[in-house]
Amino acid sequence: MQKKTLGRALAGAVAASLALSVVSLNGTAASAAPKKLVGIAFDLGGKEQPGFNQLAYIGFKAFLKTHPGWAEKDLQGNAADTDASRAQRLKLLIAAGANPVVVVGYSYENALKAVAKANPKVKFAIVDDNIAGAKNVEGLLFKAEQGSYLVGAAAALSSKSKSVGFIGGVNIPLIQAFEAGFKAGVAKIDPTIKYQSAYASNPPDFSGFNAPDKGHESALGMFQNGADVVYSAAGSTGQGAHKAAFEQKKWSIGVDADEALYASNAPYKTAILTSALKNVDVGVASFLSDVVANKFTPDAHLFDAANGGVGFTTTGGYLSADIVAKVKALQKQIASGAIVVPTDPKTVTLPQG
Amino acid sequence: MSTLKENRLWRIITSPSRMMLTVAGVVILVSVVRQFTGISDITSPGAAGATIRFTIPLLMAGLGGLWAERSGVINIGLEGMMILGTWFGAWFGYLYGPWVGIFAGAVGGALAGLLHAILTVRVGIDQAVSGLAINLLGAGTARFLSGVFFIGAGGDVNVSPQVKSISSFTVPGLSPFLTSLGQKHILVISDVAGVVAGFITSINWASLVMILALPLTSWILWKTRFGLRMRFCGENPSAAESLGVNVYRTRYIALAVSGALAGLGGAYISVVVTGNYLEGQTAGRGYIGLAAVIFGNWQPAGVLAGAALFGLTDALRVRQSTSVHALLLVVIVLAAVYSLTKLRKKDWKGFGINLGIAVFVLAYYMINKVVPDEFVTFFPNLTTILVLAFLSQKLRPPAMAGAPYRKGEES
Repeated sequence: MQKKTLGRALAGAVAASLALSVVSLNGTAASAAPKKLVGIAFDLGGKEQPGFNQLAYIGFKAFLKTHPGWAEKDLQGNAADTDASRAQRLKLLIAAGANPVVVVGYSYENALKAVAKANPKVKFAIVDDNIAGAKNVEGLLFKAEQGSYLVGAAAALSSKSKSVGFIGGVNIPLIQAFEAGFKAGVAKIDPTIKYQSAYASNPPDFSGFNAPDKGHESALGMFQNGADVVYSAAGSTGQGAHKAAFEQKKWSIGVDADEALYASNAPYKTAILTSALKNVDVGVASFLSDVVANKFTPDAHLFDAANGGVGFTTTGGYLSADIVAKVKALQKQIASGAIVVPTDPKTVTLPQG
Repeated sequence: MSTLKENRLWRIITSPSRMMLTVAGVVILVSVVRQFTGISDITSPGAAGATIRFTIPLLMAGLGGLWAERSGVINIGLEGMMILGTWFGAWFGYLYGPWVGIFAGAVGGALAGLLHAILTVRVGIDQAVSGLAINLLGAGTARFLSGVFFIGAGGDVNVSPQVKSISSFTVPGLSPFLTSLGQKHILVISDVAGVVAGFITSINWASLVMILALPLTSWILWKTRFGLRMRFCGENPSAAESLGVNVYRTRYIALAVSGALAGLGGAYISVVVTGNYLEGQTAGRGYIGLAAVIFGNWQPAGVLAGAALFGLTDALRVRQSTSVHALLLVVIVLAAVYSLTKLRKKDWKGFGINLGIAVFVLAYYMINKVVPDEFVTFFPNLTTILVLAFLSQKLRPPAMAGAPYRKGEES
């Protein structure tokens, strides 16, 4: 008897809450105009932490500010991500009604391939990658080697010991392009400069983007072997290289965003000579405005020196006006096509340091 | 034991005079190679210092594994305990200073160790399953706590704010003297001076404290009553119980210490090496620590050797990739010498194999200028597999490590 009453009470409660939820749904629908939803899925690394996630988020927020009819939904990645968990994250965004969706990082490639195929009406953009043949995916590709070329020239012009170094995060073609650009920039200024290079990890181990300890030892090794400028294209690993440069009173060069502004680099910012910029915000903003203006076109979109996709920073004023002028001249030559920057480090030779 | 004593290799390794001779031989060999190739980073103070900094976290994880396994419980959860060590180290280091952080890292690891003890000793869950659960729990807890505490304090869901650094010391007088001697490129003398200089130049105080865990572990395990009982629990818990040893309590203590050691290793990474917590920065070091335990035949000194093998490879690789190429020459000479000892004993097959290795590596050395980075990274793992494959008869794990034990039951 008691059980029955309880059952009825429960059933009543469920019915009441259902009715209430319907009412409340209607209520929100009535009170505000339905906003269109734009989604963004981040890679490892926080959206408020300087880096390419934050740059993507800056472009994303700039779009939201100028388009009040849109609301956002964002989801963050984590270190334990697999293709399945990334696909799940994209499906969550789509299930929430997000369209278009910005996907940050090539690590989403496999996940996006499957999800984009299953959701042909949703428009996607993927940063640092392109999915050939997918009709609803824009690939936002950055000529990162061009930015690296510029800081390579700046490094060569700033080096007093005529010896420089490069630290890559993971030994994959994407990062090798950074090395090739850097090396070519150095060689352009002085082909007799000594050169060292190291990668923090090898695939399938991607911990090299997240290993400041290895960045620190690697940079220390290069400094102790004669280098006085080291460029790290290695995510958080670069933080260790900045620390080493600070301790050894040498120079370090950052990547992707202005690393001298990172909170985590604050103690070492006086050792950061410059940073190679990859303006992910420009790419993300261009994709979103394309979608709104119905100008969405699938396949690769290139961002380079010509359209403001890459560059270098002068924060701290450690590059002399003379050096800045020389590097800017090179930037113009790259933009005009007079200099073609290689993407394979083996094509450039410098003496081993 | 008798089979061990009869074994020739074992006798060579354990005989002190021969061991010193072998070490001297290797030092001279490395020195000649350094002189011949002109790649001086192999024996530089910097490389020695880097090796120490890469080795310590692995050593701490390895000692943690040793404590657990000697008491009879396999600890796959070392990785999760290290992660908790990095998190607690960074957060309490940020709040109250680096030394408090290191202590907190040990406490965080010890808590996870106690959880492992409750699950395996009290509840009787399979030890591997419990260890895996702790790895997942460690990563998840750190992520959750980061979200709660770091955002708003200048961090993010995966990064902590900066921790103040712990100071380093350099032995005055001796260090600059040895460093300058190391740069003179004198055969053998410079090499020894360089490496020793690395051991006494800008050594972090925390490194010194961590290294103390090694002799302390040795002393507790082999010179104290508690250590004897602990090893007894690992060899035959039923017999230990029947003689009045409280197996449960002993394992609780051993696992708490195991977790604390792993936590110290984690705190070393976040507080001393990087200066902040970063998600995923332990990068599987807990598992490598386990490999070091096996490589080291469940002996503290062996664990150090295993950890140093991984640490040295990383140090040479990230500092100057040409160092590893030069070390191929050492491998060539060692293989050639070993083949000659086989020849003396008329062991034709052994002679052929070792000579083949020497010739193959020599050919490789002549043709290529660098060793593929992928292979170098894999090298310590390969060595551990080879040790397991060829010396498995001589490895001597605690007899009942991994076996479930219930009080009052025959096992």
